[in-house]
Amino acid sequence: MASSDPVILLENVYTAYEGADRPTLTDISLSVGKGEFVIIGGPNGAGKTTLLETINGMLPLTHGKAVVCGHDVRGNGVGVRRRVGYLLQNFAFDPLTPFTVEEVVLMGRFGTIGLFRKPGKEDHEAAKRALQLLGIEDLASRPIGQLSGGQQQKVLLAQSLARDPDVLLLDEPFSNLDMFAREAINCLLSRLVASGIAVIIVSHAFDDLPDCRVRVVVMHDGRISLDRECLPADVGLLIRNAGSASLNA
Amino acid sequence: MLEFIIQNNIVCHAVEAMLFASIACAVLGVIITQVQISSIGFTMAHAAFAGAAVGMFLSLNVTICAIVAGVCVAFLIGPLSDKARVSPDTALGLLFGISMAVAIFFIAYMQTIGQGFSAMGLLFGDVISLYREEIYLLAIICVVSVVFVVVLYKEITGIIFNKRIAESVGIQVKPVYYALLFVIALTVALCLPIIGGLLIYVWLVTPAAIALQFCYRLSAMFVVAPIVAAAISVSGALAGLEYSLPVAPLTAVLFSIVFIAAVFLSPKRRVTFRKS
Ligand SMILES: Nc1ncnc2c1ncn2[C@@H]1O[C@H](COP(=O)(O)OP(=O)(O)O)[C@@H](O)[C@H]1O
Ligand SMILES: [Mg+2]
Repeated sequence: MASSDPVILLENVYTAYEGADRPTLTDISLSVGKGEFVIIGGPNGAGKTTLLETINGMLPLTHGKAVVCGHDVRGNGVGVRRRVGYLLQNFAFDPLTPFTVEEVVLMGRFGTIGLFRKPGKEDHEAAKRALQLLGIEDLASRPIGQLSGGQQQKVLLAQSLARDPDVLLLDEPFSNLDMFAREAINCLLSRLVASGIAVIIVSHAFDDLPDCRVRVVVMHDGRISLDRECLPADVGLLIRNAGSASLNA
Repeated sequence: MLEFIIQNNIVCHAVEAMLFASIACAVLGVIITQVQISSIGFTMAHAAFAGAAVGMFLSLNVTICAIVAGVCVAFLIGPLSDKARVSPDTALGLLFGISMAVAIFFIAYMQTIGQGFSAMGLLFGDVISLYREEIYLLAIICVVSVVFVVVLYKEITGIIFNKRIAESVGIQVKPVYYALLFVIALTVALCLPIIGGLLIYVWLVTPAAIALQFCYRLSAMFVVAPIVAAAISVSGALAGLEYSLPVAPLTAVLFSIVFIAAVFLSPKRRVTFRKS
């Protein structure tokens, strides 16, 4: 599948939450190359969010090996997260949150800038580009807490893009977006994929996917039950079939 | 340091001490209120108080005992809530209870053996009997807390925004967070003798709460809170010494009055009223 060196390589990975008596991810092996578009499906609680956070090192893996963007996730999670954009699931901000959209997007580069340094000109320019990519330049000076859920989601997506990532992890990014925003973001994602970024997206919306080759990964109960390439039009059917197959099993 | 304005030595020292303590507490207070770790600040203040009481009883260095106790609490909260399987909130409640019990036990015991006077200073603060070295220490902690915020401003804003998002961006959240707790513990312990264990919390939280009434941006809060705190604290020290009133309690009352006035004058409230 991956033509060149994989940007994400998981081998027999197990991840357990602190205090849990069994792992949430069981024996996951996954290899994703540059410019691949991976859509992850599966029921609630299957471990999709856990998989994304294992990839970017926010959750420590208990067994196995994970190398992302050339860094060992176990030893250098911070290094991984500086190359990986991650849009967290279900975020909403209090109306009084004292941050403007511009500040939130610039924050996407804070890890890359490094300790004891201030954001420079190129950081502000990258933040501006990210705002433009999502078409939300007009929101730049608005407090993030006073935006709608969909607008907030776009701001956070702009934040993950601001550090020019090699990998983009999106956890249900469409949950608050209207039809037009979905189309716009799908169009953006296909451009990103074409430029060589690996995109992994957890989603239940299969109707309007980017027009590129898609790889479908279905998870059940912490394991990968299906992993194959297909056409965008077949994604919904594949995931539904995988779901009923595991119900019958 | 301010001798050229204030001739009276006692008044001069009191004003200097209040100035430095209030700036340090207010700057950190903005972080404490915005990261919503007020209960951690609260518990650390009381632990430092307990440490000071124990130190005083054992004739050890009071400041060092206060620092040790405050730092211990900061680093106990996480493990305690993991291992004892209680929520961080409950862990703080437990530590707060233990701190107060220890502090009150030793202060009461010192009353019975006739050391009550200095123990009362720990409760309500004492700006009269200050040594030169204590003022220098307060000046240093004031500079340390300001420099801490300036140097780690990016990381601190990330943590204030959202710890998980800050982590996902590649900010080293844990080291910065623990450094923050450490600086808070240091500040609380050093300010304790002049403000008092029962009142220091007012200095940590009220200036930020006042600034929040007027500021929409975080950077503005970091400027407004220390200025307001310094103005109120210096006024409180001058007024208290002029009219022979206890300085720290008087200043705490001033803080509360200004806070109530700020709530009524806040433009934020006016905007909300117009909408509904
Ligand atoms: N913080 C946590 N602590 C313990 N268990 C968790 C935690 N978060 C999720 N889990 C468990 O891990 C499993 C997978 O969760 P998650 O990855 O969020 O699923 P999905 O994103 O596929 O809906 C669930 O069974 C859930 O109960
Ligand atoms: Mg999820």
